[in-house]
Amino acid sequence: MHSNTHGPDTSVLGPPAQKDKPVTATLRPMTTRGAPYLFVLPGLVILGALLSVPLYKVVEYSLYDNVIVEHDPTYVGFGNYTTLFSDPSYWSAGFNTVVFTVGSVLGHMIVGIGLALLVNADINARARTFFRSMLVLPWIFTAVVVALNWQLLLNPFGLINYVLQWLGLISEPLDWLGNPDYAMWALLLISTWRGYPFIMVSFLSGLQTVPKELYEAAEIDGAGFWHKFWHVTLPQLKPVIYGVALLDLIWTFQLFPLVWLSTGGGPGRATEVLSTLTFRLAFVDFQFSQAATVAVSILIISAAFTLLYLRNEARRV
Amino acid sequence: MMKFRLRAWALAAATTLTPLASQAGEIEWLQWFAAEDTTGFYDKLVADFEAQHPDITVKLVTQPFGKVRESIVTDNAIGVGSDVLGLNMPWTKEFLDIGILEPLDDYLAREDNSFDTADLIEAPLGKIDGKTWMVPLNAFPFVMHVNMELVRKAGFDAPPSNWEEFAAQAKAISALQDGISGVGMPFSSQPPSNGPILTFLPLLYANGGRIMDGTTPNFDNPKVVETLQFLKDMNDAGSIAPGAASRTGGVDLEEFIAGRTGFLISPGVHSSSITSRNPDLDYTLVRVPSNGEKAYRVHGWELGISADSDNKEDAWTLVNYLLSPEVNAKAAVAANALPGNLAALDVVRKGADKTLIKQIEILEGDTPVEEMRQSPKAAGSWSVMTEELQAMLRGDKSPEEAAAAVQARWLELAQ
Repeated sequence: MHSNTHGPDTSVLGPPAQKDKPVTATLRPMTTRGAPYLFVLPGLVILGALLSVPLYKVVEYSLYDNVIVEHDPTYVGFGNYTTLFSDPSYWSAGFNTVVFTVGSVLGHMIVGIGLALLVNADINARARTFFRSMLVLPWIFTAVVVALNWQLLLNPFGLINYVLQWLGLISEPLDWLGNPDYAMWALLLISTWRGYPFIMVSFLSGLQTVPKELYEAAEIDGAGFWHKFWHVTLPQLKPVIYGVALLDLIWTFQLFPLVWLSTGGGPGRATEVLSTLTFRLAFVDFQFSQAATVAVSILIISAAFTLLYLRNEARRV
Repeated sequence: MMKFRLRAWALAAATTLTPLASQAGEIEWLQWFAAEDTTGFYDKLVADFEAQHPDITVKLVTQPFGKVRESIVTDNAIGVGSDVLGLNMPWTKEFLDIGILEPLDDYLAREDNSFDTADLIEAPLGKIDGKTWMVPLNAFPFVMHVNMELVRKAGFDAPPSNWEEFAAQAKAISALQDGISGVGMPFSSQPPSNGPILTFLPLLYANGGRIMDGTTPNFDNPKVVETLQFLKDMNDAGSIAPGAASRTGGVDLEEFIAGRTGFLISPGVHSSSITSRNPDLDYTLVRVPSNGEKAYRVHGWELGISADSDNKEDAWTLVNYLLSPEVNAKAAVAANALPGNLAALDVVRKGADKTLIKQIEILEGDTPVEEMRQSPKAAGSWSVMTEELQAMLRGDKSPEEAAAAVQARWLELAQ
């Protein structure tokens, strides 16, 4: 076995190093091996800076009395955190965030799984493609379009009130987005409609990996639709469900545009969530340090969910 | 070779950094005006200015209205603020507290200005902390738009001029048929959640009331409570369109254009949208019904100079150009508004339609009021006002309780 222990690998570097250029000869293997890293270095530096600098600044801002509007802000340590945790509006927004997140994720999962089962059915291929395309549409619309359309639908003179009155379910039109008793339910409806396609598509791909033999065996044992669903489909999709639910939880927990554009956190503060509270503090009240403090609290909770998600993904790999 | 390389590096670095440095004779104008114009008027305006001032280049930065306020604050914080700022009066106190605005008193006192300060609309010039901070490019009085077809169907010959007539006509119109309402009140929390300043404040001013005592909130006074009670009574009578707490200003305008509300309280500038979108509407506009007080809420597009600008002289040259009667008249006509410089009023009057003529009468004869400009936290304040008015119309609070709650929360915000 040949061992090249007395000089550079000439098969890679070409002619042996000249005696009068020892430094170049030493650097050549390094530059050759390091070249790919040098090429990606600018990208890594920019990406790292874009991720870490804003993160650092938000945490730093939360430790001052009020940044941006104060040209010479004072360091207050964890003072903003103490103020925030004693503020009822923070806890109210936190509670709304939990309700909105859990409600939305449940809505996405139930509707997403149900529709995935339907569009996975063995029907005419063209019809199946048509339904799949139509049902994925809510995912394509921007939050502005979704919010505006649902505002019109939920208006006291809108289609939903008309249909509910026609069916005799309500006696007079309801202000779904303007009444504190209904606003969160209406928002959950909008969020469910907007978010189910991602779950549907994920489950659809998952359903296609379930071996047909399992269903055939279950059918031989006399299992009906629900038995097959509970005892074959769900256990087979468990890893997908867990991963997708966590991902949805992370996204929904910090969701801002849909809530802000649909209700603005109102009426009153009935649908105020932590993300809208952050924006309100920053750009309505100019309390940028308080806003940064709420943002850090969102960051910590989102990071915990992200760790759970990464652990789940690592386990699957 | 080494020297050449160093020179090349220096040149490259200088080229890269050039856009960050403000150049003499180059100013930036941040505004939303061009976003609301489809004719390219502002590009031409800037080109005309540059032709007359070859030593000054203007970079027109256009953003939607909803973005401009936060852009001004964040740009200022990181030291890249524009030189000339398109402003909205309610931002005055907020911005000067942060140190964004340059006082304009010395500029206004110059003898070589293209305009007479006495001719400018007074409201934005009112001193706060002893100084003037912005000047008016144009002005929109708040008015009441009227669907005359609904007024007549309800059995009346003329639009209402006082509160008693207003309440009676709105109630009669609401009784005409399902889906038709007397008046809309856009009290949605959805941003900018400024419905009460569009509808409640014009009614309050026409009732002789005020909400500020200098820069101190003064919301829990009898005139405010009386105006809140009037709104509550209208709501209880079914005269206000259902869904006020989710109704935005945009929806309110659309509903009027579609002929589903009898009255709309909003800036006079909306008349062009109404007549162009629904030419068949039997439409007119009148003063906001009053109880004998001839005061109106005034709104407009204002101009200011950034305190951090390196080119304040050039910035003022542009502002001075925009306020000259000839240019100001063109800007007003382009926006279908009234000019900020009243010396340009005759030019605007020549081509004005009857709705603009009525606005000119209001501008010339009544007292303009704009108080949010004195509020230390204007946007937060009107958001609070929206929440409390929602609660009152829902029946959760009486007018007195709503007024007291707004006052307490405003004082807390001001601190």
